[in-house]
Parts: sequence; structure tokens; C-alpha cells
Amino acid sequence: MNKKIFLWILPIAVILLASLFASSYPDALEAISEKYGFAENAYTIKAFFSEYSFPLIDNAFLTAFAAGIAGIILLYLLYKSLFVIVKKMNK
Amino acid sequence: MHIPDGFLNNKAALGLLAGALGMMGYCLGRVFKAVGVLIGNLAGNNGQKIAGIMGFSKNADKYFQKLAMISVWVFAAQMFNIPIASSTSAHLIGGVFAAVLAGPFAGFVIISSVLAIQAVFFADGGLLALGANILNMAFIGSFLSYFVYKALSAKNYYAAVIAACFFSVLAAALACLIEISISGAVSFSAAFKDMMSLHLLFAVLESALTLLLLKVFKNLGGANE
Repeated sequence: MNKKIFLWILPIAVILLASLFASSYPDALEAISEKYGFAENAYTIKAFFSEYSFPLIDNAFLTAFAAGIAGIILLYLLYKSLFVIVKKMNK
Repeated sequence: MHIPDGFLNNKAALGLLAGALGMMGYCLGRVFKAVGVLIGNLAGNNGQKIAGIMGFSKNADKYFQKLAMISVWVFAAQMFNIPIASSTSAHLIGGVFAAVLAGPFAGFVIISSVLAIQAVFFADGGLLALGANILNMAFIGSFLSYFVYKALSAKNYYAAVIAACFFSVLAAALACLIEISISGAVSFSAAFKDMMSLHLLFAVLESALTLLLLKVFKNLGGANE
């Protein structure tokens, strides 16, 4: 088997592990914002995959995994369309 | 490290957003130019450069695929929060990983693209704060860190990657603290010690993960486009 396929399998595996085991502790900036009392300044506009969850999926692992895969697809499409646009512009 | 909306005042956020957009235009231009040069040097022209012809061929396709691949690795790694010091968590920034594999300009584009997707679709990092996050993680964390790597890489590859990772994480954390303190969210001197001591730990993690991921990525043949 072409080992380059692992270039795609590995990030998917990392997302799988992240969906199962990722820490829910706050990150450094969040921790500092809580300690110094400006955490409540933060606001978020609702996004399609807010909090790394996939709409309509309730299971904690599946919803994070699906959102992660969606992220991979979005990035792939972004670079694919960038390439297609530039190719067309140069014709 | 992802700054949410609300920590920065509008003036700072919009100013940084404008700067990030300008830098993005410049770096994208350099990425396209690199692909153009690739094609200019294609075999079959007796080594002559095809001046003025900016066509894109198969290796351009592969080059964009490589950029997409690196950004997917960074995105996946950023999703994995690792508990640190039993009360906070950290994840890879990936700026040095991207810049070592793709150079400073593509590195900036890669990290920015990941940050933009996270902000727009995942509400991870603010939309208004995207400029600040791009400055911290893509410009400082990837673009500038590349030159730290480059300065040392001829002498010792491992030392170069580790130094670049420490610069990447610590300078980005410092920039982040400056931005939120200028915006009046917190006093710089009060939060300095907490911010930097936590990120000193994160820099160790960033170095180890970057070395590991670079080795795996290269072994799988991802760097040969």
C-alpha cells in the first residue's frame, strides 16, 4: 500500500483520539482571564460547528469526531478552490 | 492562545485585522510566485526559463495538495488539548512545523487558513480577533519563527527546531498579552508571570511534538513535492 495514504489517515486518527481523550481544562489564556476577572468579557457568535460539535449529533465522541472530519474537508476544499481559481485566472 | 471576541477593543482588533489581510495578500502572492517558478523550470526546455509565462501544471497541483495536507495536520493537532500542570490544557500551534516544511510565506498562509476556518466554522477564536490571532500564531508563530530555524539549521537541525519552537510559543504569548493589556482587559505586569511561566511549559511540549510530527511527516513522504 502506498504509504502516502497515511498522510491522510494519521490526522484522522489524531482527531479520533482528540474526540475521545482531549482535555477540557481551560487553555492558558482562559485560565488567566478567569484568574484576573475578565473572562466574562468574552462572547462568541454561534458558528456551524461551535465547540467542535456537529449539529444534530448528541453523542459526545461522535459529535466531536464528525466536526473534526468536517474541518479536514473544509480545509481541503479551501486549498482545492484556491488552486482552481488561480489556474483559471492564469488561462 | 486563541483570543475570543471581547478581550480586545475594536480599534486594536480592526487594526490587526487590516494588517493580517495585507500580510495575507503578500504571502499568497509569494506562494503563487513560487508555483509559477516551479513551472518555469520544468523539464523539456533545456533548462531555459519560460519568462513571462505563468502556467500551472501537475506539480502545482501537488504543491497545493501538500499545503492542504500540512494544514490538515495542524488542524488535527490543534484539536488535541493536552492537560498541563493539572489545571490548564495546551495544544500544538504548529507554526514551526508548517514553516519548516513549506517555508515562511506558505507557513503563514497555512496557519492563517487553519485559524480562519476555526474562527468562522468552529467559533474557536473570535472573528474580530482573527487579525490578532493571525499576528500571534501565523506571523510570529510561523513566519518569524522560520528565520530562527533558518539561522541555526545549518549547524544543528534539532537545536534549530527547538529554538524556533521556544521563540514561536513565547513571543506569541507575549504578543497576545500585549494586545489584551493595551485593550485594557488586564494589567501587563500583573499577568506577565502567569502567562509566560505557563507558556514556558507549552514551549517544551511544542518542541517535542514538532520534532515528532516533522519526522513522521517526512518519513511518510509528505515533504517531497
